[in-house]
Amino acid sequence: MLNLQPYADPKYFVFLLLALAPLAIGLYFGKRFVWYEVVVSLAFIILMFDGKKYHEGFAIIGYMIWQWLLVWGYTLYRQKANRGSVFYVATALAILPLFLVKLAPAAHWTHVSTLLGFMGISYLTFRSVGMILETRDGSIKSFDPWLFLRFMLFMPTISSGPIDRYRRFTKDITTVPTREKYLEMLEKAVWYFFLGFLYKFVLAYIFGTLLLPQVESFALAAGSIHHGWTWWLIPVMYSYGLDLFFDFAGYSLFAVATSYVMGIALPMNFDKPFLSKNLKEFWNRWHMTLSFWFRDYIFMRLVFLMMKKKWFKSKVTVSNLAYIANMLIMGFWHGITWYYITYGLFHGVGLVINDAWLRYKKKHHVPHNKFTEGLAIFITFNVVMVSFLLFSGFLDKLWFKP
Amino acid sequence: MKKRGLWWIFGPVVIAFVLVGALFLAPFSLNHFSKKDVRDASVSFSKNVYKGETMKTAAFSDTSKRYVPFFGSSELLRLDTMHPSMLANKYHRNYQPFLLGQAGTESLLHYLSMQEMLPALHKKQVVFVISQQWFVKKHANGAFPIFYSPLQTVDWLRNIKQISPTDRYVAGQLLKQPQIKDNGLYAKMVTKISENQPLSGADLSVLAVRHRMLLREDELFSNFSSSKNWRKYVRPAMAKLPARDDNGALFKEATKIAQSETTNNPFKIKDSFYRSRIQMSLKRLAGSQTKFDYRQSVEYADFQAVLAEFARQHTDVLFVIQPVNQRWAKYTGLSDKMYYQSVDKVKKQLTSQGFNQIADLSHDGAENYFMQDTIHLGWNGWVTADEKIKPFMAKGYKPTNYHINNNYLSKDWQNLMPTPENLQQFK
Repeated sequence: MLNLQPYADPKYFVFLLLALAPLAIGLYFGKRFVWYEVVVSLAFIILMFDGKKYHEGFAIIGYMIWQWLLVWGYTLYRQKANRGSVFYVATALAILPLFLVKLAPAAHWTHVSTLLGFMGISYLTFRSVGMILETRDGSIKSFDPWLFLRFMLFMPTISSGPIDRYRRFTKDITTVPTREKYLEMLEKAVWYFFLGFLYKFVLAYIFGTLLLPQVESFALAAGSIHHGWTWWLIPVMYSYGLDLFFDFAGYSLFAVATSYVMGIALPMNFDKPFLSKNLKEFWNRWHMTLSFWFRDYIFMRLVFLMMKKKWFKSKVTVSNLAYIANMLIMGFWHGITWYYITYGLFHGVGLVINDAWLRYKKKHHVPHNKFTEGLAIFITFNVVMVSFLLFSGFLDKLWFKP
Repeated sequence: MKKRGLWWIFGPVVIAFVLVGALFLAPFSLNHFSKKDVRDASVSFSKNVYKGETMKTAAFSDTSKRYVPFFGSSELLRLDTMHPSMLANKYHRNYQPFLLGQAGTESLLHYLSMQEMLPALHKKQVVFVISQQWFVKKHANGAFPIFYSPLQTVDWLRNIKQISPTDRYVAGQLLKQPQIKDNGLYAKMVTKISENQPLSGADLSVLAVRHRMLLREDELFSNFSSSKNWRKYVRPAMAKLPARDDNGALFKEATKIAQSETTNNPFKIKDSFYRSRIQMSLKRLAGSQTKFDYRQSVEYADFQAVLAEFARQHTDVLFVIQPVNQRWAKYTGLSDKMYYQSVDKVKKQLTSQGFNQIADLSHDGAENYFMQDTIHLGWNGWVTADEKIKPFMAKGYKPTNYHINNNYLSKDWQNLMPTPENLQQFK
């Protein structure tokens, strides 16, 4: 049976763009063929979860029913009352499937993974939890079952984002861009597709498929004699880090380009992250839709909570704690393994140090010129690369699973 | 700002596709190889050459020089003064080796590579160097992805006229490799072959298109491989070789060179090799090969596939069986008995099917300066091999009389423990 994984090979793009062509022609002439769009999206989603992946198909149907009932129920409740406890329970229930799936590998519950897991569960959860939070805030006032489904299951982004926001998305999907605007989007789409091809099929291939396995095997061989420490870790670190970026940035470009063709101005995910001058800036340029999601829904809310309840006197303490909690949660979300959690902690502590340095810089006269900027970029890049080496899990293989 | 229309956006894309399309469909060849390019390729050991079809076609259809395929593995890389490529060039013999193989290329890879050059095998001469080290229990899987190319699979599938037991066997072997298993298109067709179902007309047209594209790709990338080996190794060797093509003189010169290059170790291994590969871990290597066993291996069946192809093409083949360095074998504890049993098994497989031209050097591993290092022919070893290669080539192609026995593809043969009785009984 034909199974198509999103953006995996050239064939996919041929099918995708042929299928989207009628929609694009419609948009060009100022019409949005809603039914056609729904049918094409559904077809591609089915092709993603069929064949050997049928159990994921069942999982996503069950998951969608669960979230649909939950968000609908909470909206109905919120229209009448606004108790904190109900909000917390609703949020917890929305996160529950993802939580179980993330816990399953650590707890060796293979049946839970097969029953509940499907590709993209994280990203769907971000969307529905975001909706519940915004409903609590009162920014989303009513539940539209049809728009909910189209938002949650927006085909180009179903497997790995970028994470859109409900209100932004519905504004786009219920309107048609002007011809001028749409032509601009098409122009960007073409550029993003080709940049994505360069990223994913050329650069990520060089770093991830050609280089990485080579240097990893050298590192494993050398590491087995030298107690797990070898110079080969350095090329492993850079090739993994660059592969990670080009692979994911390439994927994100495809997703954004596809949704532009569909007349949806999806937010970008990456903005030259390796040119960041400090770690904070890095998180404003790396996997942006995720880090903004964490910033808006976890970091900010934690800060407000701690300020409101007056748990700590110092503002600095509050933000430091929020940084660490925010990044730790992100670490846990990646998976319950020592290296993901350490990665989260690394970035939490990194942001705390970064903040302290920025405060110090404000108070004292630290020289600032082209050279210091270059140095800052260099240091940030390498700190990030070290964190990606942690993230890769390669150290686990090298040190604990020979 | 000027308003941009559709053509402004999609024009470049359309042009790009048209250009790429033209590149793949153009009716003319994309490369021209000079005599020098072919000569360089013959000693380049380039992966592109081994995996591809373009350079092989160019070399084996060269009218000015008779390039003869020399299949083998890492020994071919030892481009010392007495190497077959040097001798053929120096004495203007009626052939020039085209070296196919390097560390890691074993029978299955050779079989696939051969599919891209059948005209060079059909009623032609070939030299095939065997290493007993191929015949291990479990193949190291590293080499296959390095030397495999989809073009080989496409050529192989297209070459199948009537599905033979060899084809079914090879299909089974290919389906074990992720490069084929995980490729929906090839997996489907190779599975058909393994189940004895002929390919459909639709399959064959898909393959024809694939072949065209892959060949174009091969042509494009063949332009980018260049090798300095000829200039670095072959050219200097010309000055050192004796003026006359005479074995006595060659042995004398080989011994002289070898003496000066084997001074730092008791194994008569080339100094540079000893320094870089052995010295450091000498202690650890003592007795390290006592468990090595070449007697039972799937390689025997892979090798049979190669033989079947030679028989199908009526190729006139000279096999060279390589010895091991006896001094080194003693030190590392490699079992003599095991080694000779595995040689006997290979020879039985050869002679019982009519492959009688064998340069069996397996007993010469103790000779001085015969091996360049632990398992690879060197100085006097190459001259000894040349004593067989030279007359074989001089006589030219002679019609063959092979009779293939498909039982050599079986698990029974792969796992047969080669005692004299066992070998005699196997039919």
